[in-house]
Amino acid sequence: MNSQLLALVALQDLDLMIREAKDPERATQEEELGFTLKGVDKLVKTRERLAKQIDERLLQTYERMARRFTRVVVPVEGRVCLGCFMGLPTAAKRNVEPRTIENCENCGRILYRL
Amino acid sequence: MPTAPFVERRVESYLEIHLRPALFIPELRSKKKSSVLEEMVAHLAKHQIARQAEPVLETLRQREALGSTGVGKGIAIPHARSTMVVERAVLLARSVKGVEFEALDENPVHLFFLIVAPPTDKDPIYLQMLAQIVRAVRLAPARRKILEAPDFATIRTLIGAQLADE
Repeated sequence: MNSQLLALVALQDLDLMIREAKDPERATQEEELGFTLKGVDKLVKTRERLAKQIDERLLQTYERMARRFTRVVVPVEGRVCLGCFMGLPTAAKRNVEPRTIENCENCGRILYRL
Repeated sequence: MPTAPFVERRVESYLEIHLRPALFIPELRSKKKSSVLEEMVAHLAKHQIARQAEPVLETLRQREALGSTGVGKGIAIPHARSTMVVERAVLLARSVKGVEFEALDENPVHLFFLIVAPPTDKDPIYLQMLAQIVRAVRLAPARRKILEAPDFATIRTLIGAQLADE
């Protein structure tokens, strides 16, 4: 997996964590169980640093799509996008060029293959 | 024709359903917070729960930056949802000597329940499992029995009994 895609995966996970920590209902549930969520600001700073490592156009694409989908970066399994569960065309083979970022032709999500 | 006597069977909790012998580390090798997380995530990767170890580890580190999941009384429940996780899973690990995990009461941690899940829209089971772990280890005798149990099956039975008593 290329480094840009890895950075996007980290960003997506971090965004989910920040969103949940800022959700009052969710935060209350965790705090009632004995967990502390005091470091949200730290996570926001980490997110800013991480975002700077990502190509500007790729980041814009991710952020635009993140307004529509909870998961923007999704795996491909058996030629099926695990975001929309639609099959990918046979022509959409594994990219030879590791720098290329692949999108699902149906939903547009960013795909990663293993 | 005689009928079989009706035996009421308790419905297993989500926690019990997710506890698997393959995801049990009887005694952790690591003694530090960072290496304990590494050891547990490597175990998840070995059992194909994590597609890649490093991104899952990084997400767990970020969760620790949000606030330590060492909830005190020798218990830590590291948990995170990660893109690189294949399915919801619970890994149970023990450390008789204990690990410095920056727990809220500053005591070493002996029992780790690591929960990971993929980042699906809503996952109420994930939160319910967190709550069930807290309930299962609330009492000191239960924690001691889990720590001293000879095998995974005994631990699973102990946890089931503890949750049934609640």
